[in-house]
Amino acid sequence: MRMAWSRTKRGLGNFWQGLREWCGDAAYENYRRCTERRGLKNVLSREQFYVEQLNKKYSRPNRCC
Amino acid sequence: MKRVLQILIWGVVAGVAATALATIALHRGEPISATWFVLAAVCSYLVAYRLYSAFIAAKLLALDGTRATPSERRDDGRDFVPTNKWVLFGHHFAAIAGPGPLVGPTLAAQFGYLPGTLWLIAGAAFAGCVQDFVILFCSIRRDGKTLGEMARQEVSKRGGFIAQLAVLAIMIILLGVVALVIVNALKSSPWATFTLAATIPIALLLGLYLRFIRPGRVLEASLAGVALVLFAVVAGQWVANSPAWSKAFTLSGVALTFAIIAYGFAASALPVWMLLAPRDYLSAFIKAGAIFSLAAGILLVRPHVLMPPLTRFVDGNGPVFAGKIFPFCFITIACGAISGFHSLISSGTTPKMIQRETHARFIGYGAMLMESFVGVMAMVAACAMTPGVYFAINSPAQIVGTAPEAAARTISNWGYPLSAATMASLAHSVGEQTLWNRAGGAPSLAVGMAQIFSTTIGGERLLSIWYHFAIMFEALFILTVLDAGTRVGRFMIQELGGRVWKPFGRMNWYPAILLSSAIIVAAWGYFLYQGVVDPLGGINSLWPLFGISNQLLAAVALVVATTILLKMGRVKWIWVTLLPMAWLVVITMTASYEKIFSLNPRIGFLSFADALAAQISAGAIPAAKIAETQRVIFNQRLDAAVTAVLAVMILVLVAEAIVQWHAILSRGKEPVLHETPYVATQWAEGD
Repeated sequence: MRMAWSRTKRGLGNFWQGLREWCGDAAYENYRRCTERRGLKNVLSREQFYVEQLNKKYSRPNRCC
Repeated sequence: MKRVLQILIWGVVAGVAATALATIALHRGEPISATWFVLAAVCSYLVAYRLYSAFIAAKLLALDGTRATPSERRDDGRDFVPTNKWVLFGHHFAAIAGPGPLVGPTLAAQFGYLPGTLWLIAGAAFAGCVQDFVILFCSIRRDGKTLGEMARQEVSKRGGFIAQLAVLAIMIILLGVVALVIVNALKSSPWATFTLAATIPIALLLGLYLRFIRPGRVLEASLAGVALVLFAVVAGQWVANSPAWSKAFTLSGVALTFAIIAYGFAASALPVWMLLAPRDYLSAFIKAGAIFSLAAGILLVRPHVLMPPLTRFVDGNGPVFAGKIFPFCFITIACGAISGFHSLISSGTTPKMIQRETHARFIGYGAMLMESFVGVMAMVAACAMTPGVYFAINSPAQIVGTAPEAAARTISNWGYPLSAATMASLAHSVGEQTLWNRAGGAPSLAVGMAQIFSTTIGGERLLSIWYHFAIMFEALFILTVLDAGTRVGRFMIQELGGRVWKPFGRMNWYPAILLSSAIIVAAWGYFLYQGVVDPLGGINSLWPLFGISNQLLAAVALVVATTILLKMGRVKWIWVTLLPMAWLVVITMTASYEKIFSLNPRIGFLSFADALAAQISAGAIPAAKIAETQRVIFNQRLDAAVTAVLAVMILVLVAEAIVQWHAILSRGKEPVLHETPYVATQWAEGD
């Protein structure tokens, strides 16, 4: 019973994380992890990162017919 | 033992696929259950994925799991981001799935369910998925280069230029056509118009929230936005029932045309965070929800398909669009089977985010199979309604007439019984004033979806809510393509213009932004306007033009893929990309020839223009209508010229490629491959 619960919890957690990554909610956290790993100094704020990502995304074909 | 069991299981899946395909192909007489369509599609996809995509991955591409992908080598958390394969599959699917696989099969249902369904399944397995998969692989091996860059490097400079031009051409035609689908869906419908208009302030609110209050918190904002949009669907009913509000939101085709043109301009010129991006978030969530619900609804309801396998319109005289199955079925069903536009996504963001080269099979091939399944569901939804109703909704007034009784008689005489009372009652049930002559595919798909949804939840009582939910879903979906496409088109025009006059290429210089937005909007707006004033309803002329340009781009992608594979020495397996490429060239060339030169005025642009000119000369057109008729004549000749340019472009590219291939095969030229050098992955197997 406990194993089933922990599996369900893990499954739901993975789904939630996947959903956050899919819709872009987790993008800034991923970016921060990357800058920390690489020791970068000039780090964008959450707001700057959001606007920069949008400008890049919508300057090339990203939605199909 | 395990292997024997595997063979046995796959044998059973293949057997079910064959039985289901044979059933839908050979069934005659009584209506057939939609379950056979689902079984035929799903089991065929499973077999294609298990066998054909594995063969391509192993023999043709030799995917290498030990090779570091661009996302590993260049990981910067911004452009190059290693992404879980399921999440990337979702990203890729959301990007490739547009209105095409919904509208195309709905229009092609006029031939009956059989030709479209078979092409959706076979075309995806042997052409569409192959294109997406191979182009994704080629782009991964080139640090995420775009199709245009790969064409320039691997085929020729001219090839790259043609690819760029093809992208711009398809963008303009595509935007005009999809906008026409919205206009035909919203025309004289205050409920639908209000619902869609309400999404604009909702998107603006979301944009402000995401920019200033909680930057980047997409999930919470989108869920709140989706709730507001669903409320707007319900509120649309109150608007439709109020005489004053109803009048304000009852717009003619021309008024809607200018409203959509103004919206496209605003979305392109305003900062992206304000309107475009939040609308895209809303659309992505509603798209995922509606597609999932449609699949679940079809599985639960298992409706009967009432359309015959083949209708009398295989002879080319269909009321929805004119032309025989070959080549027009393959042109009409563009995105559900193969879409050139997908190659732009496969060589865009996806290759920069893929974690392992071996994931390309699941993402490239798998996501396209899923898109094809959306097309099969749209076919089922369109064919599950009474054929008479389907033809009444999709036939333009010039074919069936404007008086309901006479139109019902015409459709009944075709062999599809229908009464004017049936149409009046259906329109009343879905909360519309009329459903006659609503060409474009969206309203008939919405009726089909609403009937499936209401059988699952709410019954007759909720039919009107479901219908307007479906219309809102389709229109929101299409507006997202429209505004994102307009913005990308603006960038392309600025880039091209910047070569002539440098300041024009500055992406943050407002005069250039406004001018380039006006140019791109005027270009697709012109096609939209000509579709709205076209006496045959516009779809007859413009959808085939869109199909031709989309398949042209697919041919460009497959030419690039074939050239790269030849350079890689994969001559033995080159038929994998060469055959679909040859097939696309044949269908685009045949369709282009027929659209330009056919003597049937409903097919040939020039013969229609000549027929109208003859009517003017004979004095058959009233004086008040002469200017309008001359405009239609000009538009038909323009469409003929555009089609000719598209056809010449593909011929030039194929000729360029054949010269290259000959040089490679005759060893006259040492093939130069522009792959990034091999770097071993540092990630462990399970990463």
